Amino acid sequence: MIAYLSTLVVLVSIGVLVGLALNFQWGTAGLVNFGVVGFVALGAYTVALLGPHIGWFAAMVCAAAVSAAVSTILAFLSIRLADDYLAIVTIGFGEVVGILLLNEDWLTGGALGIANVPRPFASMVSAAHYDAVLLGFALALVAFTFVTLEILVRSPFGRALRAVREDPIVAGALGKPVLRLRIRAFAVGGAVMGLAGALHAFYLTYIDPGQFTSITTAYAFMAVILGGRGSNTGLLVGAGSIMTLLEATRFLKDALAIVDGAQLAALRLGLVGIGIILLLILRPQGLFAEPRKRVRDFFPDDEVLPDRPAAAARSTRAFAADPSVPSFQHCESEVSSRES
Amino acid sequence: MVRSLNRRQVVGALGVSLAGLGLRPSIAQGASDVPIGMVLPFTGATGPYGPDMKKAADLMVKTINDAGGILGGRKLQLYIEDSETSATTSVTATHKLLDVNKVELVGGFWGSPEALAAKPLIIAANKVQMVSAAADAITDGDTKGLVYRFQAKSSQWGPAGAKVVSSLKLKKINILAQQNPFVVAMIEPFKAEMAKLGGSVADVIMYNPTQPSYRAEVEKAFGSDPDGVFVGALLTDFVAIAKEVYRGGYQAKIVGLGTGADADGAFLKSVPAEVAEGIHHLQPGPPLDSASYRKFVKEMGAPEGTVFLFAGNTHDQICVTALAMEHAKSSDASVWSKSIPAVCNPPGEEVDDILKALEMVRVGKKINFVGAGATVDFNERGDQLNRSFVHQVIHNGKNEIVDIVS
Repeated sequence: MIAYLSTLVVLVSIGVLVGLALNFQWGTAGLVNFGVVGFVALGAYTVALLGPHIGWFAAMVCAAAVSAAVSTILAFLSIRLADDYLAIVTIGFGEVVGILLLNEDWLTGGALGIANVPRPFASMVSAAHYDAVLLGFALALVAFTFVTLEILVRSPFGRALRAVREDPIVAGALGKPVLRLRIRAFAVGGAVMGLAGALHAFYLTYIDPGQFTSITTAYAFMAVILGGRGSNTGLLVGAGSIMTLLEATRFLKDALAIVDGAQLAALRLGLVGIGIILLLILRPQGLFAEPRKRVRDFFPDDEVLPDRPAAAARSTRAFAADPSVPSFQHCESEVSSRES
Repeated sequence: MVRSLNRRQVVGALGVSLAGLGLRPSIAQGASDVPIGMVLPFTGATGPYGPDMKKAADLMVKTINDAGGILGGRKLQLYIEDSETSATTSVTATHKLLDVNKVELVGGFWGSPEALAAKPLIIAANKVQMVSAAADAITDGDTKGLVYRFQAKSSQWGPAGAKVVSSLKLKKINILAQQNPFVVAMIEPFKAEMAKLGGSVADVIMYNPTQPSYRAEVEKAFGSDPDGVFVGALLTDFVAIAKEVYRGGYQAKIVGLGTGADADGAFLKSVPAEVAEGIHHLQPGPPLDSASYRKFVKEMGAPEGTVFLFAGNTHDQICVTALAMEHAKSSDASVWSKSIPAVCNPPGEEVDDILKALEMVRVGKKINFVGAGATVDFNERGDQLNRSFVHQVIHNGKNEIVDIVS
């Protein structure tokens, strides 16, 4: 059971890394990326191709670099396009990567894929205990990524990205380099997706193009929506619950004689779909909405004139909730963290 | 305010109920049960093949258990997981079977990527892997004698296809093939055999799976007016290709694989009879004349003469596992795996009934088990020997056997 749970955690970690990356690109910077799976695949193949020659660590760094570099190029090509068009370009990119991997068999092994991907620390521990090592490695990778992205989100860079997300024209008018900010956000996200791909390759040790289908992208979006756009903590919960839910339903048929494997297989994905629809209807901001910045956060109460504290507080609230103030009401993730 | 509370309650209740479903403890298995597992496709592109394979496996487990089980009354406990036609899922499913259910066998495995991805795990755990997949790589490398293939190898499909093509007096052939490990591995052996038989392959057209349309590929393969086209396809794409060929009015003969043009009868249910008319196809045949196979078809509730391409394989996997355990007097995979050749290969008395075979093994007789999917004889790499191919043609919406190719 422990070994199975640890592989489950590795699987969740891969999902979390992809989700964190998407949350940075889409949640924080407002850039829709439907080509997530393409970047993950690039990372996985980079590790599989370079790993045997330059070692797993260098290969993993290369995976992040390759994905980041390709993200940058893609960002240049498409960043001036508005939301919907960016989405179309990224879908196209994901498909292009998949088709290249399948058909350039001189490099990628084509449909046969690549086997025996070298794993981190594999020479130091026996195969029987390797699960624990991979578990630790995955958790460390997630922790490193989470902390790095949290620092970025809280930094001036992150604030500028949120400003660009809310209204690029206003941000541009205030002197923010919108294009450069977006490209950097896309590159950072791409690098993390490359890392996720590397972890995927380490986990399976055998990769083929069939593993990188658009369902990966769909899971990432589900995780971000469930957790709450823009919230990294929410993402951890979101990705964790989706992966756990998908796996936990495996045990359903062992326990219930009336549901057989074939029926359950169809039910599982349906359940997740229903869950997402209900969530979007009942709690569109996700489980953990992005912390909402209010005027009070920047002008604490003690700066308010001492003789009119109540009125000032009231007016602050009124300002924050006023639908006519566009920058606060632009995005659905902003809706009423006050309620909770 | 009241409304928002209700929302939370709904979401909360939903979460709790789903979590509750997940946390429900699995049925405690009896101390003496022998857990075995299978990874089969129920969803995704190969989803149509899973249910019959499951049915056959369940049937055998029930037969064996109802007759008193193995190893002095121990029952087989079968766990089946969905592979979702995905290597990633196959790995998690295999992990679950190995670590949670503690299975001694991980069988099933329709599809080479699924089998290849799960193979290192199963070998590392010292359990037995039985596959119904074709890629040569599955039995390559150091398998510790734990990997057994209940299916013809890809490289065996190629020459058999070439023999069928030349038996139809087709000389100039184009190949239209899906990019997947199973089909890719049969192309070179097909070409080599064609050259030997005096034919030639003019063009090889590869296509990607899950394309929305195959019109361009079909036009390229059939438009140059070859005598015939060898189509290496699976079910969903073969259905689309057959319709496209019919629409285009091409005259070249189609020789397909049983994986696409039969798929345990699924193809004929998916296209009108006039589209399927005259399509030839081949597949590794079960021993159609054996009493065991006829009995198996009856037990599956299918009309006489039905060719089950994969269901027989899971039937055989369960039988061989039970027999090998009984022979080794152990449910430990590293022990009973060594007994597999002893109960499957000649010499020995041929027997095709599992209960009779178990009885004979118990009294110490040397047996040579004959299964419903094949004669189940293995070479030292774990590949099945003597897989003959059944060449069929579709006529009036029915499969008719033309001949047996070996």
